[in-house]
Amino acid sequence: MAANFWNSSHYKQLLDPEEVDVVHALDKERGISTEDFKLIKFHMSNHIMKLAQHIKVRQRVVATAITYMRRVYVRKSMVEFEPRLVALTCLYLASKAEESIVQARNLVFYIKRLYPDEYKYELKDILGMEMKVLEALNYYLVVFHPYGSLSEFLQDAAISDVNMNQITWGIVNDTYKMDLILVHPPYRIALACIYIASVHRDKDITAWFEDLHEDMNLVKNIAMEILDFYENYRTITEERVNTALSKLSLKP
Amino acid sequence: MTAAAFGQLNLEEPPPIWGSRSVDCFEKLEQIGEGTYGQVYMAKEIKTGEIVALKKIRMDNEREGFPITAIREIKILKKLHHENVIHLKEIVTSPGRDRDDQGKPDNNKYKGGIYMVFEYMDHDLTGLADRPGLRFTVPQIKCYMKQLLTGLHYCHVNQVLHRDIKGSNLLIDNEGNLKLADFGLARSFSHDHTGNLTNRVITLWYRPPELLLGATKYGPAIDMWSVGCIFAELLNGKPILPGKTENEQLNKIYELCGSPDENNWPGVSKMPWYNQMKSSRPLKRRVREIYRHFDRHALELLEKMLVLDPSQRISAKDALDAEYFWTDPLPCDPKSLPTYESSHEFQTKKKRQQMRHNEEAAKKQKLQHPQQQHSRLPPQQHGVGQSHAAPHWPTGPNHPINNPPPPQLPAGGPSGHHYYPKPRGGAPGPNRYPPSGNQTGGYNNQSRGGYSSGSYPQQGRGAPYGAGPRGPSGGYGVGPPNYSQGGGQYGGSGGSGRGQNPMGGGRNQQYGWQQ
Repeated sequence: MAANFWNSSHYKQLLDPEEVDVVHALDKERGISTEDFKLIKFHMSNHIMKLAQHIKVRQRVVATAITYMRRVYVRKSMVEFEPRLVALTCLYLASKAEESIVQARNLVFYIKRLYPDEYKYELKDILGMEMKVLEALNYYLVVFHPYGSLSEFLQDAAISDVNMNQITWGIVNDTYKMDLILVHPPYRIALACIYIASVHRDKDITAWFEDLHEDMNLVKNIAMEILDFYENYRTITEERVNTALSKLSLKP
Repeated sequence: MTAAAFGQLNLEEPPPIWGSRSVDCFEKLEQIGEGTYGQVYMAKEIKTGEIVALKKIRMDNEREGFPITAIREIKILKKLHHENVIHLKEIVTSPGRDRDDQGKPDNNKYKGGIYMVFEYMDHDLTGLADRPGLRFTVPQIKCYMKQLLTGLHYCHVNQVLHRDIKGSNLLIDNEGNLKLADFGLARSFSHDHTGNLTNRVITLWYRPPELLLGATKYGPAIDMWSVGCIFAELLNGKPILPGKTENEQLNKIYELCGSPDENNWPGVSKMPWYNQMKSSRPLKRRVREIYRHFDRHALELLEKMLVLDPSQRISAKDALDAEYFWTDPLPCDPKSLPTYESSHEFQTKKKRQQMRHNEEAAKKQKLQHPQQQHSRLPPQQHGVGQSHAAPHWPTGPNHPINNPPPPQLPAGGPSGHHYYPKPRGGAPGPNRYPPSGNQTGGYNNQSRGGYSSGSYPQQGRGAPYGAGPRGPSGGYGVGPPNYSQGGGQYGGSGGSGRGQNPMGGGRNQQYGWQQ
């Protein structure tokens, strides 16, 4: 995408973790806890991924869509911005922004086939929400992802182990189930994923990391966050997600 | 900025931090253009009095929401920050239902209009060049060209292809600054990009041969061809390759640059449309011959820009290093340029239309004024060899300078639009002939009656144009202009004149295309 991340709006908009986890006042009134908030975002990320598999868009579109969705909830409430509709709309918008256009009516078609009970949205709902999402994003549509630097790093580190590559890509994909992309520069997320994969595969690339002149503590902190997530991941059940989602529809 | 209240974000955008302001913060003054997807207005910010340009994003595609062209432009402009690239100040929305100029409510049920707010620029290059009696100096042309190349180089370094470089998209302010605008067709590219891109971009007259031959993988060289066309146009005084159809465009290119073959363009015979668009006989390159009156360095640079093979075409960066910009007379300082009353192509066309109107009225009154319509003046050539300039403007078969226009063409453009495969909603063809009245499609006079009456001096006082400075240039400007901008363009939903913007009118189809 853009030549320089450091000049980009993405860089300028990186947030502190505390800013990301603030539950909007309107959502709090409905009893949404920070935990619920994370759960719903996690659930919606999965939703976007699953839907994207059916409509066959590039991974980049998925990543951008999830980033949009997470950015929306930094400043908007789930009460006003219904998560299912936002997820759908973000995927639609990302497909345009990433030049991998999906027609809105196809999206509606697939979503109805996949989730006949859960989704009642029509074309006009998506298009209406699109405007609200664009505004919520303040029209900043460029997103940088770890994927670009990831391939460069893997090449540079001369890692030709196919398994190791695959694991790293998988971990990067999983980072979108968290808010990491709002908080850390993408290249550092890529490094953290490489780090985890190297430990997992028992590959010693310490020397390569040292040559990078990168603050390894920062990288390791991200790695710890990812590992924590994997740890918690097991306790996430559909029931917990549904409980959280149902709070949204309750009147305070 | 002060600290944000709890729960709010402290980001560096000007207030209001999130959510857009309303367009009511601005007072629309007049329409100054027609962009790829909507009108452009000059407006005043009520609070500050600052003059801005408001570009309306037309939301008429109810099936695909926010237009992809607008998404591209916003996305790209939010990441480009350069003195030779137009600055997008903010985006404003019009709350509730928007009304169009006729006062009818917009039938968009989702949202009122959306406007992009830009810094205001007084002119566009075409509008300026078309000013009656205006003659660019050589340092001035160098100054504009240098800025154009600097801005374009910046775009290319940032992996953005503009894909619609033409005079009316090059804005100039009264301090002589030139900025690239209208990124509605622009897109990002990467050097390792393997996907296909559409070849239906760039206004026909400025479209490079590789696109006309069906290339779907291309790079920054496409913009450089357009730059070459503009450069030659500035020196020549009029567009150099005014084709009416894609076929004719390619033929004009061949007549100027020679026909392509495997020697001058390795791989050309494998281009998708090479066989059906082949030149009937081999033609030799005639750039040097046709433009022999250009100064040596200008011709040298032009030769490198108008290279058929995109891989051999000069880059913006190398063009900036050309001798042309570093030999006397040097490019002037933008600030030293004269200031002009604002002129956008849109307005100049209106003006001329008004003028024609008056002429017709005059004719009806059987007034025998020696009418001359304006043709653009070639620049002053520096040095002494002036005398040869005027009579030698190319008068080859494709430059029917003194031929009167075919009289009976309908205002909608030459017979049908067979050069576009699909009908384009209401967009009249690139009508290059004076319209025979006002029945052109679109919104021109009928709905905006007051538009031309106020701001412009009436042209009825005899024939002010052409009589003076152009006297000596002999046959050049006399008689019906060969490229008079007909009224046809006004109606176009996209093509803002001068050839046709290939995608503008086709918004409804664009989703089917590979972009």
